[in-house]
Amino acid sequence: MGDSIMPAEDYIPIDQDWLGEAGSLWTTPWVDKPSDRVIVDPIILSHAATVFRKNAGYFYQNPEEAVRMVCAACELYDVTPVGHYLYADYWGADYGAELKVQTNSPPGITKRPIKTPEDVDNFEVLDTDELVKGPTLTTHYKALDTVLEEYPQMFAPITQLGGTMEVATNWAAIEDVFMWMITEPELVDKLCTKAGDHMVNACRATAERYGANVMITGSVIASGDLMDVEQIKRFSHKPVSRAVKKVLNAGAGPGVYYHLCGNHTDDYQMWRDAPMSPFTIVQIGYDGQDIFPTSKLVEAFGDRCTCFGTVDTKLVDRGTPAQVYEQAKEQVLAGKDSPRGFILGTACECPTNAPPVNVHALVRAAKDHGKYEKF
Amino acid sequence: MVKISEEMDNLLKDNGIKQEEIQEVIDNAESSGTKLKARDGDLAIAKGVSDNLTMYAVYSPSELVDAYAHKMSILGITGGELDDVANDDESEWECAKCGEIALERNVDMTYMGVTRPGPGLVCPKCDEYYVSAGVAKTLKTAESILEEKRA
Repeated sequence: MGDSIMPAEDYIPIDQDWLGEAGSLWTTPWVDKPSDRVIVDPIILSHAATVFRKNAGYFYQNPEEAVRMVCAACELYDVTPVGHYLYADYWGADYGAELKVQTNSPPGITKRPIKTPEDVDNFEVLDTDELVKGPTLTTHYKALDTVLEEYPQMFAPITQLGGTMEVATNWAAIEDVFMWMITEPELVDKLCTKAGDHMVNACRATAERYGANVMITGSVIASGDLMDVEQIKRFSHKPVSRAVKKVLNAGAGPGVYYHLCGNHTDDYQMWRDAPMSPFTIVQIGYDGQDIFPTSKLVEAFGDRCTCFGTVDTKLVDRGTPAQVYEQAKEQVLAGKDSPRGFILGTACECPTNAPPVNVHALVRAAKDHGKYEKF
Repeated sequence: MVKISEEMDNLLKDNGIKQEEIQEVIDNAESSGTKLKARDGDLAIAKGVSDNLTMYAVYSPSELVDAYAHKMSILGITGGELDDVANDDESEWECAKCGEIALERNVDMTYMGVTRPGPGLVCPKCDEYYVSAGVAKTLKTAESILEEKRA
């Protein structure tokens, strides 16, 4: 088989009985419709490629096949039936950045378009039509169109954004942005405002194409390990909130997924008042060096939106199945009856080479301990 | 009476709203003062709340410029209290009754037994809640999903 493309007919059809059951589990957190237990979303992306003896580079160069592999892996693991395709360094290439495809990790940017403060001033955000023709959405929509055509029940029109700091550091080198935060913070304000405007245009593009949109945003680089609370508020929370409001005011929702990766001990409370839609998830990675306790997540967000409890991705990657199971058990017990829904998953994307038994252990914990009591 | 153009009349029909209903919404807002007015310009937003539909009219002194509706009922501020927030929440609208700037805040909305937050325009003094036209479009998608999944 080697690295040859596997066309759709090489995959066995998704088991419709499984799909019906998984769809029912997936529905519960959003619409309070009773089902048996908590659903698991380990955010499977290039990990799916390893199930097919492919690598991350192959996954990202072949978006149509990538989502076929993801959908098949969803059934294999019995997790959220959604065909994802995305990576962290979205949007740089649309503005002239050079993207390097890597064998064992997602694509990374090697050369960024913004190098000087003058470049920030002169930088122009692409409009919706221009973005649709650009490399990011062209590839992204190949993946989404494949899901829509071949796996319509597993389709979700997602737009991967990250937060303003993530977009900004895909346009300018992170060391420059961090230096400007100290020497010329107004320049970073400007950059983050442009990143926010870009986010709005990207969401509008997806909503116009598919009739709805789920935006993945939040704060990854803007976490407590790299920035203080005031910096997170200024360069992440405020411009991200402004962008989300604009997206919802443009009718480009309804989904909002706040992915707060990294350590958010000092800033998580401010996200309680981030703009939300009726379909909002909040996921927080870490509390200091530890996994963010679901009890704390539910206490802060449970009366507002769907909580996404997490298991440490390092544990999923390098721990034992027993360790994964124990942490997942603790998290699912603390979250399963959260008032506005709960999902169990990983702190970030499922590591590419995670042992499959560890993903299975995560799901087993939800099956063993995630039975709803409130329904 | 505000003028309703042919384009607006078609929009009303698309939204299942009668001309006399939207005129009544505007008349009530004008007589009670319960409306939002633009901080810059002469537009106003009036709303009419019934059991299963909230209608909005955006209008100038002379004509209707937009009309929309949602089925989700607004219950109040998410979390129950109007606490300070870390993001910029001042909208482009102010309450015509008390003069306070309307705030962009999450409000709890309920439909078909499901309660979740959504972005609202809130008068902090009068406890009146509105949504923008764009948010109403977002809510329409949300309502369709709930109708399909809760059926």
